[in-house]
Amino acid sequence: MARRVLTRLFHTVLVVWTAASVAFLLLHWAPGDPISAMADASRVPPAQRAVWRAQQGFDQPLAVQYGRWLGQVARADFGFSTSQQRPTRDVLASRLPNTLLLMGLALLTSIAAGAALGAWQGARVGSRGDRVLSSLMLVLYAVPEFWVALLLLLLFTYYLPILPATGMVDAVFHDRMGPWEQLQDRAAHLVLPWLSLTLMGTAVFARVQRGAMRDQWREPFVQTAFAKGLTDHTVRRQVWRTALLPVVTMAGLFLPAVLTGAVFVERIFGWPGIGSALMQAIALRDYALVSACVVLGSAMTTIGSLFADLAGAWLDPRMRTT
Amino acid sequence: MIARRSRSPLRAPSLAALPLILLALVACGRGDRSRAGAGGTIVIAQTAEPATLFPPRMSQVPEQVVVTMLFERLAELGPALNTIGDSGFVPALARRWQWANDSMSIAFALNPQARWHDGVPVRAEDVRYTFHVYTSPVVASEGRTLLQNIDSVTVRDSLTAVFWFARRTPQQFLDATATMYILPAHQLAAIPDSALVRAPFGRQPVGSGPFRFARWEAGSRLELVADSTRASGRPSLDRLVFSYVPDLPAATVKLLAGEADFLDQVRPEGIAAIRQAPNLRLHPATELNYAFVGFNLEARRSPIGKPGAPHPILGDVRVRRALTMATDRATIVRSVLDSLGTVALGPAPRALIPDTAALRPLPFDIAAASALLDSAGWTGRAADGTRLRGTQRLAFELLVPSSSPTRIRMSVLLQAACKTIGVDLSVLTQDPATLGPRIDARDFDAYLGGFQASPGLQGVRQVWTSTGSSNYQGYRSPRFDQLADSALTAFAPAVSRSLWTRAFQVAIDEAPSLWLFEQHTVVAAHRRLQLPPFRADGWFYTIPAWSVDPTQR
Repeated sequence: MARRVLTRLFHTVLVVWTAASVAFLLLHWAPGDPISAMADASRVPPAQRAVWRAQQGFDQPLAVQYGRWLGQVARADFGFSTSQQRPTRDVLASRLPNTLLLMGLALLTSIAAGAALGAWQGARVGSRGDRVLSSLMLVLYAVPEFWVALLLLLLFTYYLPILPATGMVDAVFHDRMGPWEQLQDRAAHLVLPWLSLTLMGTAVFARVQRGAMRDQWREPFVQTAFAKGLTDHTVRRQVWRTALLPVVTMAGLFLPAVLTGAVFVERIFGWPGIGSALMQAIALRDYALVSACVVLGSAMTTIGSLFADLAGAWLDPRMRTT
Repeated sequence: MIARRSRSPLRAPSLAALPLILLALVACGRGDRSRAGAGGTIVIAQTAEPATLFPPRMSQVPEQVVVTMLFERLAELGPALNTIGDSGFVPALARRWQWANDSMSIAFALNPQARWHDGVPVRAEDVRYTFHVYTSPVVASEGRTLLQNIDSVTVRDSLTAVFWFARRTPQQFLDATATMYILPAHQLAAIPDSALVRAPFGRQPVGSGPFRFARWEAGSRLELVADSTRASGRPSLDRLVFSYVPDLPAATVKLLAGEADFLDQVRPEGIAAIRQAPNLRLHPATELNYAFVGFNLEARRSPIGKPGAPHPILGDVRVRRALTMATDRATIVRSVLDSLGTVALGPAPRALIPDTAALRPLPFDIAAASALLDSAGWTGRAADGTRLRGTQRLAFELLVPSSSPTRIRMSVLLQAACKTIGVDLSVLTQDPATLGPRIDARDFDAYLGGFQASPGLQGVRQVWTSTGSSNYQGYRSPRFDQLADSALTAFAPAVSRSLWTRAFQVAIDEAPSLWLFEQHTVVAAHRRLQLPPFRADGWFYTIPAWSVDPTQR
């Protein structure tokens, strides 16, 4: 098992390096650079922009820039963010916790709610409740997060203004609040972005869980369990346990989807996370920050996949030897 | 065994309780959200965040807004925006100033009570140091080129800084006061010039302006508090919070939801909703902007600064005039901007053109435009109706920045206008980072560009004269160059005005660009805000005079 984990970790490093290098090269091959992407760039004389370019090393050959970047990444440095004029490490340190809070909460509640709904449906396949829920989950699954986010924004901040529209805290009063009120304030600001991500996630997990439950009900061990006289409730628990495996696998693979969703949702709700910083960094050709985000995203994806495998092996002993 | 260790499917996802906890927290928190006790705090919603607050390296409006609140210049432009001599200038960090008899130096006497926000007095050495930083090649400030006429800055005594000039010009005073925000030498002098740009000062600045820096949560908000100990008077507001949102629709929602008090730009599509909101009010604000279709007058990829071969189509003044005359600019501007725009006159916004009434724009006249193209030899017709000269089609490409919905819409209408006289205009929309290098390399036929002008007409020389460093279109008109140079060096306002009028008429007649529109800005503010008239060069200059209705604090 340890050997397997080590091999996977090696693969993780390889995947992260490949993804980040491809992103680095594509960014540099794209027309323009951080200086030309500046707002009002045309107002600055070309000679002045050439000085800025030289100061930041953007006039160096691509191989030199790549070597310098690789050296920085190896030292966990990630360079200087041109869009935010501060070290990329500082940008990540200030933004990542916000994204992890949003993503983590959305992922946990998606799994929990999706597994519960899917299990309920899976035990009642074909019933009216199952059909209604299936239709609802299909709609939520098909609708993109940003659309749901816009709808929620319109609903809860304009027509029924009970929730804050954007940001992470109240811009005026947060610092004057007590700890309990600050917690309430943060929670209020979290509701809409969290709900936008959770609705889609719930639909995904519910569909997977329902399908797995339905398949497991047809397995011979279910008939055996009933034949042994086990109660309906006990059999349902056993079926659910065996049907959890695809959900766990999906949870690991779902991480990049949540990250992608967070990019749009953060932008719509002005949530100061990695997603909104990444969008701005792409528009402004901030090589360092975009590359760092790719490193982070690919690392999260591969590590998520690794955890899914490990959890799968824990749930299903047959997978430990494969 | 497995069944015993497993948990019930309905009990297992106890995490589902999280949303309930979250909603419970929210429900408890939706108490009294009135602004009672907040004093004069206002929230300004903005769609872009400063990259740095180090004044020499600011290059965008969001940076300028905050820097103007934190730092001071020696003197400020008056409401008339006069840039000749020192007429109309208002004392700021300098209490008064004195010209030398030969006008080759100006001595600025600083306000002796002025203090940096850390309590240290502001001294003439700070002014000298500021000039050093702004002109340092390592710091590479955008304003460096605007300070070329200042030979040096010396310290006469602790409260008097003397500016020495290389040449006597009408804009000497503007040169000395408009570009530089005075920096605290005691905070920065120990830092090598090469490290200044990335120094922490850029994110935690210490200034001498009406507001002190309080905090900056990147991507979220930036907070300033009034400097209540300021000798020259504290601002009316207690706190100023800039709340950053990703785009204009989100900023509009924030305003409508009551989470912001002020939005510095409202799109036409957002006006109706804001007008219906009982607590909000729309205010017109002048801006010094103008937009144009810039024609490349020389062959594509000609190096900037050197005369190149004429552009095969747009190098001909008759074609350029025909394109302008075939375009019903008034209708296009009205269609896209409604009442929020006017037709541009020439290479400067109307507010800076000394005598707009004396200028004669090219008329909208399709018959005359067609005749001009005929006279230029474009008499043949292709099967699709495009004009031909021999086998050459009268077709060219227009680059449009994808960041501007207004310009994208206009480009479609321009395409239709061109078609009426047999011109095949293809529109290529690109993001600014891609479009910029193409314009730099002069790899274009035409582009839909715009400029945010500064007070004074010095910028005209940089963009529209033969030697201008940003003359991407290759407009080389000896007549225009001579008139613009003479106007900029004329000390008598009447002479300057007359020369500018002639210069602008040349630019209209020679049509290096199709002068398209000037966009009027509308800002939205909460009714509790009491706002004085905005300055034309920036709505934010009057923030220190903004106040909040005492009954609605």
